[in-house]
This record gives sequence, C-alpha cells and structure tokens, in this order.
Amino acid sequence: MNRKYELVYVVSPEASDEQVGDLHTQVGAIVQRMGGQIEKTDNWGRRKLAYEIGRHKEGTYVLEVINGGGDLMKEIDRRLKVIDLVIRHLVVRVDEEQGVVERTRAQRTENSRRRRVARGLPADRQPGEGQRGEVDDDREDRFDMGEELR
Amino acid sequence: MNGKKSFGGGGGRGKASANQQNKDGQRRPMFRRRKVCKFCSDKIDDINYKDVRMLMPFVPERAKVLPRRISGTCALHQRKLRTAIMRARQLALIPYTTE
Repeated sequence: MNRKYELVYVVSPEASDEQVGDLHTQVGAIVQRMGGQIEKTDNWGRRKLAYEIGRHKEGTYVLEVINGGGDLMKEIDRRLKVIDLVIRHLVVRVDEEQGVVERTRAQRTENSRRRRVARGLPADRQPGEGQRGEVDDDREDRFDMGEELR
Repeated sequence: MNGKKSFGGGGGRGKASANQQNKDGQRRPMFRRRKVCKFCSDKIDDINYKDVRMLMPFVPERAKVLPRRISGTCALHQRKLRTAIMRARQLALIPYTTE
C-alpha cells in the first residue's frame, strides 16, 4: 500500500534552527521505521500567522511529502500532537488528487490537439500564436452556449 | 466581435427587451458581463491550500469564503476552493475571521 501524503507542521518561533532540524530527523526516523520514505522536504521559513495560536504570532513552516501507509501517518500525527514545540500540523493525502489533475490536464491537451487537427492546423501550438489560439477556442465554446440559451 | 463581452450581452439582451415591454422606460444596462469561473478560464487544475496568493482574492475582508454568486466560480471549483481555504485556515495561512 503506497500512498502519498503531505505533512505541514508549524514550529513555535522560539525554536532554534537546530530544534527544527531535530524535528525533521525525528519525523524521518518514524518514516524509516514504518517502512515509508520522505520524497521531499521544504522549509518555508518563518512567517506570520494569520491569527494568534496560543500567544504565538509567528511560526516556522515545514512541508514534508511522504510516501507510506495510513498507519504511518497516524503514528506521525499522534507524535506531533504530543510535541509542544509543534503548534499546528496538517496531514493531507494527495495521490488521488494528483492523479485526477494529471488526467484532466492530459485530456485537455489531447482535446485541443484533436480540435486543431480538425481545423487543419498542426497539432501543437506554433510559437507566436499562443493567445490567439486560446481565444479562438473560447469563442467556439461560447457560441454553442449562446445557441442553447436563445 | 470579441467573444466574451458580446455573449455576456446576449444574456442581458433578453432581459432588456422584456423590460422594454414593461413600458416603465427603465432599461437594464445592455452589456452585463457574464461571470466566468476563474479556474476554468485560466485552466488551473489543482486548487492548493499552500498557494495563499491564489486563495486570497476569494477571502474578502471579513475572511469569509466569497460566495459563488459573486465570484462566478463554477460549482466544482467552488467546492475545491472551499476545502483549500479550510485547510489553509487550519495552518493559520488564512484567518478564520477578522476582529
């Protein structure tokens, strides 16, 4: 069972860079132990919170993209809840969403290619015609819509 | 004829002619621009909770979610937008409310 999750956690502004790094290795250790892997880590650095969280006005944001199972994320979630240094965290499963996005994107390019060929144009967009091609397509769609409305 | 506006007028035209028959002489503006879903027209596929700059226009002053009737967002994208905003709120990227 391989799923992809995004984990974002907000670390208290009092924490030093070392402590933030420490937290990262801690998460990494859990992931290792439960047979997952960290795909990507991104430290957004310190930013202002939109609202106060227990007298804190700032926080250090860290994003981790993790491959693994549900029990792994459950464990991480539980551990982060306990750690006081982490003032907020969020786990989101992303693999299904990403699949949908890729599929729609692929479908769209395929459709536009087909339409272009039907109009006797080369399948791929030529350099320099970018915007105009798009406007043409839009006008076609709107025309159909207008017909229905009348 | 530039696609967008002329057809926005198409929708409004029907109403205007109806008003003309009502003899009160008050006409609606002929060209009311048709609202278009931003995400459909810009071809943005994933509405992500991390992209605060993209979400901010849909979270006006009081930090509520901008309703569909005003923004013109389509149902599908409004739904995605809502979950994205709710997630961003949990992480304090977007406020729940302003005081």
